[in-house]
Amino acid sequence: MKIIEAIHLAYDYIRTDENDKVVEKTRALNDVNLSIEEGTFVCVLGHNGSGKSTLAKLINGLNLPSEGTMLVSSRDTKNEKEIWDIRKETGMVFQNPDNQIIASVVEEDVGFGPENIGIPTEEIWERVNRALKAVGMESYRMKSPNRLSGGQKQRVAIAGTMAMIPKTIVLDEPTAMLDPNGRAEVIRTVKELNKTQGVTIILITHYMEETVDADRIIVMDKGQMVMDGTPKEVFKNVRALKDIRMDVPEVTELAWMLKNEGMPIPDSVLTREELVTYLQKCLPKQADFQPDFVKKKPEHMDITDPVMRVRNLSHVYQKGTAMESYALKDVSFDVQRGSIVGFIGHTGSGKSTLTQHLNGLLKATDGVIEVNFRDNSDLFKVPGKTKTKGANADTTAFRGGKLISDMSESIKMNPDNSYNEGADKSKNIAVYREEPLHEGIAAGDGTGFVNIYTEGFDMKQLRFKVGLVFQYPEYQLFEIDVLTDVMFGPKNQGLSQEEAQRRAEEALQMVGLGKEFWKKSPFELSGGQKRRVAIAGVLAMHPEVLILDEPTAGLDPAGRDDLFKQIRSLHDKAKMTIILVSHSMDDVARYTDQVIVLDHGELRMTGTPEEIFKRYKELEEMGLGAPQMTYLIHDLKDVGIRFEDRPDTVEEMANCIVDLWKRYNKIAEAEKASGKEAE
Amino acid sequence: MFREITLGQYYPVDSVIHRLDPRVKLMGTLVFLVALFIVNSWTMYGVAAIVLAVLIKLSNVPFKFMTKGLKSILILLLISVSFNLFLTPGEPLFQFGILKISHEGLEIALKMGIRLVLLVLGSSLMTLTTTPNQLTDGMEKGLGIFKKIGVPVHEISMMMSIALRFIPILVEETDKIMKAQQARGADFESGNIIDRAKAMVPILVPLFISAFRRANDLAMAMEARCYHGGEGRTKMKPLKYEGRDRAAYLLMIIYLAVCIASRFVKLI
Repeated sequence: MKIIEAIHLAYDYIRTDENDKVVEKTRALNDVNLSIEEGTFVCVLGHNGSGKSTLAKLINGLNLPSEGTMLVSSRDTKNEKEIWDIRKETGMVFQNPDNQIIASVVEEDVGFGPENIGIPTEEIWERVNRALKAVGMESYRMKSPNRLSGGQKQRVAIAGTMAMIPKTIVLDEPTAMLDPNGRAEVIRTVKELNKTQGVTIILITHYMEETVDADRIIVMDKGQMVMDGTPKEVFKNVRALKDIRMDVPEVTELAWMLKNEGMPIPDSVLTREELVTYLQKCLPKQADFQPDFVKKKPEHMDITDPVMRVRNLSHVYQKGTAMESYALKDVSFDVQRGSIVGFIGHTGSGKSTLTQHLNGLLKATDGVIEVNFRDNSDLFKVPGKTKTKGANADTTAFRGGKLISDMSESIKMNPDNSYNEGADKSKNIAVYREEPLHEGIAAGDGTGFVNIYTEGFDMKQLRFKVGLVFQYPEYQLFEIDVLTDVMFGPKNQGLSQEEAQRRAEEALQMVGLGKEFWKKSPFELSGGQKRRVAIAGVLAMHPEVLILDEPTAGLDPAGRDDLFKQIRSLHDKAKMTIILVSHSMDDVARYTDQVIVLDHGELRMTGTPEEIFKRYKELEEMGLGAPQMTYLIHDLKDVGIRFEDRPDTVEEMANCIVDLWKRYNKIAEAEKASGKEAE
Repeated sequence: MFREITLGQYYPVDSVIHRLDPRVKLMGTLVFLVALFIVNSWTMYGVAAIVLAVLIKLSNVPFKFMTKGLKSILILLLISVSFNLFLTPGEPLFQFGILKISHEGLEIALKMGIRLVLLVLGSSLMTLTTTPNQLTDGMEKGLGIFKKIGVPVHEISMMMSIALRFIPILVEETDKIMKAQQARGADFESGNIIDRAKAMVPILVPLFISAFRRANDLAMAMEARCYHGGEGRTKMKPLKYEGRDRAAYLLMIIYLAVCIASRFVKLI
């Protein structure tokens, strides 16, 4: 039975001025024809602004169609009398778990819907009990939502819709703000509801892995449905999906790459098991067929030149009381200059606490952090003298400094970056490595390292040297236009108006936001653009170390790719040391040189991504995972195909397998040929 | 610093006080507050303190948790106490230059301090033992009479309960925004009062924007769950008086009577 039917559906977002005159009309959805069968599991994909959320709101009657008709169980959403019936049977779960829980106790929140539709008291209790059981949250019924994890909050929200006994649940990116465990938790719950209760599920998501088990996938682009079919049918079109800047699951992508190299692998392989079965057929099992793939080690990793040294760092809450708890316990590691370091750990493992220590926002209870910047000279408060404004950047950079590279030079070399005006003026942003100062207080122990907890150390300076970009940094924007917002940091550094503006412009160029954006209000930009403005706000302070806390959280695949490209180029061109806090093992494997694993405030492992992911069993025990490719390698090993080196990314893996396959074929052919000769 | 505010935070344990009807607790708080302003003798302050101590004990809320709420009114407390201490005319007890403390001043200041502390503790006891939703229900039902003269009782109580739910969230958010701006070199501690007020802009603007965004999201979520005002709504936890509620009312009346009597009968 058709439960949802859209006929020539269109929706316009209309902006009006004070006199209700239409000033702008944006078509968010255009001529969508769609029908969904009862009891199916449908995923809707598409990047931000493709019309997915608009579609979701139309189904629930939160938005009414500008053109065409939306029928829910044959009821027209335009019919005002039936709107409550429609909403009753079409539950909605939104992205932000905090903004959809109304009550302060879990069970009361679940009861909110039934209360609204006038269900008698006893039945409300029954429904609440059933709904909580269906999502597995019975034991949390008396808890305050604020004490739950993100995944648990979303399950409460799902229970809230289940208590209305809906036929359909529409979930609008329910996992976008969750960590991997929370995501798995929500998806598991949703699948379960679909299977056991027969609820129709419409899941809007950016995560391709979540769609693999769906009955049907709909891909939206520019307000239109561009693909519609089973996962197998949709993921056949890897090229077309990539053209509209969509992702495919990593396994599917790998299979597609291998197929393009001529390997006998069918279209749209969706699971690891499938891929392993096919690979088994065309790859050798013998141990002497080792791929000679050797992963390049980044050169700078061999040189020990740490920019930061963390030694025995501890942070204790309520020390000396019965409530004493460690946020960080005896953490020691080095951050090498010019490297990309990944911090991984589940939510609450101490990652954020650690990053806030590195730039002095939090003070350790124990231990030291030593820094050795290219320019250590202004790290101490000068007694009786206010900071020299603006000029210090010029003077100190030259003093005893040895020129290593010039940032403005590297910007000039960047072909897709038109900006180079004022480059000659910008000598002061040259990147120097200061010879360790052997004079005065700044010299520290003579090695160039300075303990940030030394008397007189200026934490404010540290914050400029170690830029910290928080999670969802766009929420900190506040100025009237983009440029002024980015200038906030440099101005706090005491730079002159002109210098601050120059730096802001340069930083905006670095994150790929050209002149046309500078005078716009930060609030009219898209999510990804806002985030880049926020990152520019930190870059404009010229940090030597840049910490990014979950920089891609909540972005769509295209946004994620773009942002990582920017980060890469910052690292490569501006020689910036980068610390990346991430939940995504795939991103960590792909982008970092060194990984630090935190668990319950303790440093559990440190090493290169290969070294870390080799111990994936231990990671799993901590509630973490490993990149998809690591798992694939292990699956292959189980069937006798072994890899000496450990490729971590899809491209490396593809090269590796193709190489193995080609050599195997050559030998097989040679054997065949020699066999013929023998005949 | 914002994390300390306990006002409006429900403390989820089970106790007699938790199980009381919210109307009883609202009325009880009112009675307790009124009584505090009626009485004027040390003995009766002692009685009020003992009553409150017993109630706190009964509520199973740790005392330490209760006193956290006091920190947020510390400044107010200090100001009102010192005003009373130094500015009440009367027979001087101590004199330091122009500052003099009179016997009367000392007494009024002390009483004022005790009053304020008991007041805050008493009302936090209510919010700590009553979920915002119960509180809303209690207000809605208890103030039902005002509905007849056109006061939107349901809407007001709904607004209140949502406000209470979002206080901790916004508090946490403020903390985050402050840190984010500090990471960009913002300074909230130094400078004169104008500088400091200016320094608040980078916190307040994002906070307001976020609050509006949340309000928008929440309105949509509520609408999606068929919320359309108080009409035709049923209750998951309808309010019904039970034995203990009646007993509580009785105790309240006795307490109030004693307090009023204490003003006239000088024996206690």
